[in-house]
Amino acid sequence: MGIDVAGTVRGLHPLEVRVLRAYPAGALVTVQKLEEDLSFNTGQANQVFSWLSTKGLLEESSRRTVRLFELTDLGKDWVNRGTPEERILEHLRSKGPSSLPEIAVALTMESKDAGSAFGALSREGVLGMDAEKRAVVKDPSKIGRIQKIRTLLNRAAEQGYLAEDELSPEELNLIQGMSKKRMATDSPFRTVERAEVEYRLTRDVEPVRKELEQRGITGDEVGALTPEMLVKKTWKQVTFRKYNIKIPPTRVLMGRTNAYCDFLRSVKDKLCSLGFEEFDGPLVETEFWNSDALFMPQFHSARDIHDVYYVKDPTHAKMIEQPYLDQVAAAHENGWKTGSRGWRYTFDREFTRRLILRSQGTVLSAKQLPRAKIPGKYFGIVRCFRYDQVDATHLSDFYQTEGIVIGESVNLKTHLGFLRMFAEEIAGATEVKYVPGYFPFTEPSIEVHIKHPILGWFELGGSGIFRPEVTEPLGVHVPVLAWGIGIDRMALMHLGLNDLRELFSYNIENVRLRKGK
Amino acid sequence: MPKIEVRRDRFFQLIGKQMTIEELEQTLTSAKGEVDEVDEPILKLELNDTNRPDLWSTAGLARLLRILGGGERPVYGFFSRPSEMKEVENRTVQVDPELKNIRPYICAFAVQGPPLDEATLIDLIQSQEKLCENYGRKRKSIAMGIYRSTLIQYPVRYDAVDPDQTRFQPLGGDRVLSLREINREHPKGQEYGSIVDGFPKFPFLQDSRGEVLSFPPVINSAAIGAVEEGDTELFVELTGTDMDSLLLATSIMACDFADLGYTVLPVQIQYPYDTPYGPTIVTPFYFQKPQQTEKTAVEKLLGESFSDEKILQALARMGCRAEIRSGTITLYPPEYRNDFLHGVDIIEDVMIGVGMDHFKPVTPTDFTVGRLSEAEAVARKVVMLMVGLGFQEMIFNYLGSRKDFIEKMQISGDEMIQIANPLSENYEFLRNSILPSLLQAESVSGSAPYPHHIFEVGKVAKKDPEDNYGSKTYNHLGFLSAQADAGFNLISAQLAALLYYLNVEYTLEETEDPRFIPGRAGAVYVQGKPAGVIGELSPAVLENWGIEVPCTAGELCLDLL
Repeated sequence: MGIDVAGTVRGLHPLEVRVLRAYPAGALVTVQKLEEDLSFNTGQANQVFSWLSTKGLLEESSRRTVRLFELTDLGKDWVNRGTPEERILEHLRSKGPSSLPEIAVALTMESKDAGSAFGALSREGVLGMDAEKRAVVKDPSKIGRIQKIRTLLNRAAEQGYLAEDELSPEELNLIQGMSKKRMATDSPFRTVERAEVEYRLTRDVEPVRKELEQRGITGDEVGALTPEMLVKKTWKQVTFRKYNIKIPPTRVLMGRTNAYCDFLRSVKDKLCSLGFEEFDGPLVETEFWNSDALFMPQFHSARDIHDVYYVKDPTHAKMIEQPYLDQVAAAHENGWKTGSRGWRYTFDREFTRRLILRSQGTVLSAKQLPRAKIPGKYFGIVRCFRYDQVDATHLSDFYQTEGIVIGESVNLKTHLGFLRMFAEEIAGATEVKYVPGYFPFTEPSIEVHIKHPILGWFELGGSGIFRPEVTEPLGVHVPVLAWGIGIDRMALMHLGLNDLRELFSYNIENVRLRKGK
Repeated sequence: MPKIEVRRDRFFQLIGKQMTIEELEQTLTSAKGEVDEVDEPILKLELNDTNRPDLWSTAGLARLLRILGGGERPVYGFFSRPSEMKEVENRTVQVDPELKNIRPYICAFAVQGPPLDEATLIDLIQSQEKLCENYGRKRKSIAMGIYRSTLIQYPVRYDAVDPDQTRFQPLGGDRVLSLREINREHPKGQEYGSIVDGFPKFPFLQDSRGEVLSFPPVINSAAIGAVEEGDTELFVELTGTDMDSLLLATSIMACDFADLGYTVLPVQIQYPYDTPYGPTIVTPFYFQKPQQTEKTAVEKLLGESFSDEKILQALARMGCRAEIRSGTITLYPPEYRNDFLHGVDIIEDVMIGVGMDHFKPVTPTDFTVGRLSEAEAVARKVVMLMVGLGFQEMIFNYLGSRKDFIEKMQISGDEMIQIANPLSENYEFLRNSILPSLLQAESVSGSAPYPHHIFEVGKVAKKDPEDNYGSKTYNHLGFLSAQADAGFNLISAQLAALLYYLNVEYTLEETEDPRFIPGRAGAVYVQGKPAGVIGELSPAVLENWGIEVPCTAGELCLDLL
C-alpha cells in the first residue's frame, strides 16, 4: 500500500517540506527537536505534526506527561525586583541595621512578609538581631539557598518554564516549596502538566523525500509575491511554492443584477430590436384611461368594485383631457362618429374621473394613441394592480407586457405576422397556433398559443385590432394592433421557480444564489 | 369568463354529431370557447366572449356548433317585429305605472312541450344563472322567473306594492312573510334584496286572481313558482332595467326552448308608459337593427379580398343572414344575438367563418425605430454602477401595510396613497419609498452571510395636490448596507461614487429625519432641490424591523438628477 506521491508532494506546505528533507524515515521527532534543529516555534511544530499525520507520513511513537513549572506574576516580579529575602539583605547591607517595622515601611512590604523572610534568613544564620532588636547581617557566606532560588528564577524567565526532569533533586525540592496549586497568585511558580509526544516518520516518507529532492523543492519556496520583492527585485532569488489549486475557494459576496430583472430587461431589449419604443406612465390612473377609453362599458361586470383598487384620497382627478372626454363619452352613448351604435347608456362623467391603481397595461397603449407616430410601434412592461388574493399564481401587483402597432399596413395577416415574431423571438416557440379570442376593446381578437420547447403548449398572449370606438375618439384614424403577452410563466421557467411570489422575493440569500437558465 | 357545464350525450345529440374531446376543442375555438375540464358525463366549458350570452347554455352553444358543421339555421316563427305583432290569445301582462322608476321592464312568454326531464331542468337553472348573474349583473339588470302556467290565470299583473303589507310564502320558505321580511330573513332576500331596498314600493307579480307568481328580482312563490320534472306547460318572465338586454335574454331563452322541442307562445306586455319599442310589446320580440360594413373594409382589416359568396358563406356558418349590394354588406343579426355594434363585428364573424387556418402570417414591413424609455435608460446606468459598488439588485412589490410602510418607519404617512377598498390590510398602501422594502428584505435575511448590500430601482408614488391626479409617480433608487461597521462614511462614499459617474453635482445638508440617527442623516441636494437622503438608520427603526445589524440606507429620486 503506497501513497500518491505526486499528489502528496503537490499538497505539501513548506514547513512539511523542511521536516521531510531534514529527517529520514524512521527518525523520531518532537516539538523541542524541531525548535532546536529547524528554528520552528511551538505552534508551527504542532501544526506540521498534525498535517504530516493526516497525510500518513508521521505516526505517534510515544507519549508521556511532563510536569512544568511556570513563573506566576509574583514570580516575574521577583525576577525583576528581587525576592523579599534578597531585598531585605540588600537593604541591611546598604542602610545598616534596621528594625523590622522600618524595613517593612522602607520596602513597602507587609510586616508579616518581612517577618517570615527575616525568620528564614536568621534560621540559616545569615541575619541576626542586635541588642536594640534591629536586624543585622550576621554571616553573608550562608546565602546558598537564596542564590539557588535566584538561579531558578532566572532560568525560568529565560526559558519560559522549568521542566521537572531538568531539575536536580535539591532544585526540585526547592521549587516545589515555592509552587502552589494551579493559578495560585501568592507563589512565584505554578505547576503545569503537558503531554510530550514523540513522533516517528513513516516509511512513506522515503518516496516523498526523493520526489522532493528530484524536483528541487526545499521548503524555502516563497508563498506570496510581495510588492517588496518586486521593488527590491528579490523575486529573482526565490522560487514560488506550488499551490494546491483544487482547494475549494472562499465565497465572494459580489454585486449582482437580479435574475428576474435581467429577464425583464432581455424582453425589453428584444422588443426594442423589433422596432418597438418603450412607454411609461403613472401608477395611479383614472377610470377614463383604465377602461372608458378602451370602450369598456361602465356597467361591464369586469368593472365591479371588487376588480380594481380605488384610491382613498383624492377620490377623483380634477379633469379629463378634452376633446377626448367628450368623444369617448359619445362613443359609449351612441357611437359618436365611429359608425358604431355605442353601448346605449348615459355615460357617467363623475365616475370616469375616479382614481384607481392601474389594473391593466393597455391603459398606456390608449394614452399613447393621441401622441403616437404613424407608423409607430410601442411597448411597456408595466406594473399593474389587481384585486386578487395573493397566492402562487396571483399577485396584488405584477408586470404586464403590452403594446401597440399603428399604421396603414396593420391588418389580420400582418397581425399574425407580429404574433409569430413574438412567439419565435421572445418565447422561442417551435410551433404557433392562432385562435379567435375576446377582448372588449379589440375586434377581431386573436389569442396566440405556442409550443414552447420546455413548457409545451400554452397561451402566450392576447391581441387584436383596436375597435374604431377606441381609436377614433382618441384621434387615430389608422388601424392599431394591440397586443399583450404573458411572460410570467416563461420567467418562472427561466428562473427555475414555480411560485409567482418568488419573483419579488425579499430573501437576500435566495436572490443572491438565483440565476437564469 | 362564464363557465358552463353540459352533458356530453345531450350536447352532441343537439349538435347532431359525435366528437372526440380534441375535435370539440378545435371546433370550440370558433365559439371563443375552450374545454376547461372533462368529468364524464359532464364537460366543463369556458366561453370567453362576454357579448355572446346566447352561447352560455347547452342548447345555445350546440346551435352554433351545429350550424358551423353545416347544419341548417333554425327558423323561429314566434318572434314579433315592430311591424308584426304575434297573436297572444289571452296571454297578457299588465304593468303598474309606479314601476317606471323602480324596475320598469318585463318580458314574458309561455311554452308547451314534452314533460320536463332532469337534464332540461338542470340546463334551465344554468341558463337562468348565467343570464341573470353574469349578463344581468347579479340580477340588477335581468332577473328571471319560471312558473307552471297551468296555475296562472291571465292577465298577469306586474305591480308595485307596499313591501310591509304584501305577504306570501316564498319558494324555500316554510311560512308566509312580507316582502320586507323576505329581504331580511330569506337567503335570496339577503342576497338580492338590496336591488330594490331603496324604493318605497317593491315589484310584485301576481295573476288576475291575486295568486302570487313572485317578488322579482328576489324570489318565486312556493305555489306557482315551483317547477318540477314532468311539467309540460311553463310561463317564463324576465324583469329588468334595460330593455335591450332584457329582450335579448328573453329571445335566448325562447330559442333554447324551441331548440329543445317546445312550442313558444308569445305574451303581450301592456305598459302604461312608453318604452323604446312602444307601450305595447309582444315578446319574444325581434328588436335588433341590421348592421352594415363595406367589402373594402373587410379587405382592409383582414388583409385579403373575398368574393361575395365566400363572405355570405362565412357569415352563414356563423348563423348570420346577410346580403351584399354594391359592395355593402348588410347583416341581419340572429334573434339571439345583439353583438354587432359596429361593422368590425361583422368582419370578425367573416374571419371566424372563413376559418383562422385560411389566414397566413405576413411579416410586417413598416420601419420603426426601437428605443428604451428615458427612465429605463437612466435606470440601467444606475443598476450598472450599483452593481459595481458591490450591491445586489432586488425587485419588490409596491403594495404594503400601514405597519410596514408607516409605523415601522416612524413617519406620518401623510403623502402615502391609501387604497379605499383594500382586500387585506397587508396590501393597503402604495409605497412612497423603497426603504421599507429594503428593510423588509434585511429583516428576513439575518442568516445570509454578511455584509449585505442591496438596492432596487423602481417606482414610488406620492400625493401631490397640484397634480391633476392628486399624486405623482417617481423613479427611485433605494439602497441599503447591513454590516457590523456600517457607518455614514461608507454610504457617503457610495453616494459620491455613484453621482460622480452619473455626472451629477450635489451637496449634502444635515437633515432631521425620524428614520435616521440624528446628526447622521444627509439630504442630497441637486441643483438646489432636495433629491434624496442618506444616513445611518435609527436603531429604533431597526428594532421595529427586528434587525440586529447596523444599517446605512439611502434613496434618490432619479427623475430629479
